[in-house]
Amino acid sequence: MSKKLTSTCFVRFEKELCAGRGTCLPVCPTKAIRIKTKKAVRIVEQCIGCGQCIRVCRERAVSAATEGPEVLNDDHIAIALVSPVLYAQFPGVMPKDVLLGLRQMGFQHTIDMSYFLEMFQYAAEEFISRNRASGQAPWPLISPICPVVVRLIAFKFPNLLPNVLPVLRPVALMAREVKRRLIPEYLARDQKVVLYYINPCPTKKDPACLPADKQPDPPEIALGINDIYPQLIKHVDQIRSADAIPFYQTRFEYETCATGNASLWAMSGGEIADMDIDRSLAVSGMDETIQYLEKIELGLFQDIEYIEFRTCREGCLGGVLNATDKYLAKSAVQKMVKRFGLGRRLHRENILRMYEKGEFQTDKDPSKLTTLFGARKKALSIETMQKIEKVLQLIKGTDCTACGAPDCRTFAEDVVRGEAKLNDCVNIVDK
Amino acid sequence: MRVTSPGWTENDNLPLKDVPPARVTARSENVSPMPRLTKSYHIKARDFIRAGEASINIQNLLKSMDFDPRLIRRVAICGYEGEMNVVMHGGDGTLSIELDDEKLTLEISDDGPGIEDIELAMQAGYSTANDDHREMGFGAGMGLPNMKKNSDHIHIESLKNNGTVVRMLFMIPEKGETD
Repeated sequence: MSKKLTSTCFVRFEKELCAGRGTCLPVCPTKAIRIKTKKAVRIVEQCIGCGQCIRVCRERAVSAATEGPEVLNDDHIAIALVSPVLYAQFPGVMPKDVLLGLRQMGFQHTIDMSYFLEMFQYAAEEFISRNRASGQAPWPLISPICPVVVRLIAFKFPNLLPNVLPVLRPVALMAREVKRRLIPEYLARDQKVVLYYINPCPTKKDPACLPADKQPDPPEIALGINDIYPQLIKHVDQIRSADAIPFYQTRFEYETCATGNASLWAMSGGEIADMDIDRSLAVSGMDETIQYLEKIELGLFQDIEYIEFRTCREGCLGGVLNATDKYLAKSAVQKMVKRFGLGRRLHRENILRMYEKGEFQTDKDPSKLTTLFGARKKALSIETMQKIEKVLQLIKGTDCTACGAPDCRTFAEDVVRGEAKLNDCVNIVDK
Repeated sequence: MRVTSPGWTENDNLPLKDVPPARVTARSENVSPMPRLTKSYHIKARDFIRAGEASINIQNLLKSMDFDPRLIRRVAICGYEGEMNVVMHGGDGTLSIELDDEKLTLEISDDGPGIEDIELAMQAGYSTANDDHREMGFGAGMGLPNMKKNSDHIHIESLKNNGTVVRMLFMIPEKGETD
């Protein structure tokens, strides 16, 4: 029996606001939501943090499990780990000025994630070109960058886990570097450090959800871009109009962002645009991602080497926590790329040396990912499947969702599993 | 002329439709019949955009049940190849699945032009696809050979201008029997 709660590790839910209309039911890719006594409930372990329910809820009863800027204070060193999607929120502004704005807001360090995305890109190219000869992993390889895609595969397409590119994700590279180089000196001085992930989507797990012995050290807090945007835009405007630009000391290259085109990563296709792989595809959107994954499972697309999947339409620009409309942001990115072109800051030789040392190898066994979802529902036998078919024939439904399930098929399954009552269906009650 | 695939003898336990062995014996011994599930899906001719949907449905059905992923993959590949054959060459068609504890049968039927020489059609690389099909990346002549390779038994029946029936059998290994 699965637990049914209202909030998950990725989203918070305010029951009082829920009108029970069920707009969130059909958009949930793992069918984790039901309406019970006119309020939404979630099968918590099935939430993959995609944010689809946040996007469609008109009452705004669902929000991301992120914090606001008020958590910043003087008692700790605040390190901002910045997704390049943030740059795309400020059309015409250079990424380095956005990072300066964050410094003004009270972050002692700003880490530009696009630096690590580049690092990842070199490593990915290397793995793919070696895989042509070694056949270590099956084609097409799937980008591990979007965590929702990886969780979706683990939940719905576990057969495709070997296709997920086994290279450390940029976020992991970034966190490792910060923990290696930046944090130790503060800890030596007994200063408290907090890592702030500035994200366009609710994919960072709420630490409150983790057991006490798995708590991240130093503590990690996720901030939604829309949580900090109102404050940040004031600082960015100030920086742009000021005669004297404030100066902050940076020790590492990745503490600022010297290029203008870093926001390209926020766009669908941004990952593969500059990659040295001819046979690649970029797919965005939840429905499109699922359709492609289904076809890969059928054995299609084996002539493609790499597929960049983003479950948000138009890529991370379409993330549900962004402050600027995705099409305006896309236009801003395109202008930046036009002005600065493509190009990388890092040198291939250096990255290859790291690659040889195994610095990009994931130590995680992909098949372990399936355990993320706790106790899975029991597989159906032929008898139960027959019962489900019988229920479906009985209700002759139209996926109206009035029963509180996302569709008739799911409702019939719930009935057979004993988690719903047959007369919850309006077609049955009418008879 | 009615043609069937080579190697076919009356002793083969196919076509399964006419001889459902499990059910007959079960009844005669007065034991409850083996549970059996059947489903069929419509395939529309020339609909390249939605081609594959029936196979994906079958794949999703099998995934929610307790089947070996390798078996699911073989069934899905056969279903998809068959579906593409119907979309490319056949008229409208049906993909149906029948399964019980011992075996799974996939049947693809259409009311298209039929296959004139089944032996030739079974050869790898033989194709009657046109240039449009090839431009879309289909028509490599691997459809039927692939279906033969991935199923435990294949039987094809065709009547000129009167459609084709492809029936494939997959044995379901008993629990714990998988290698």
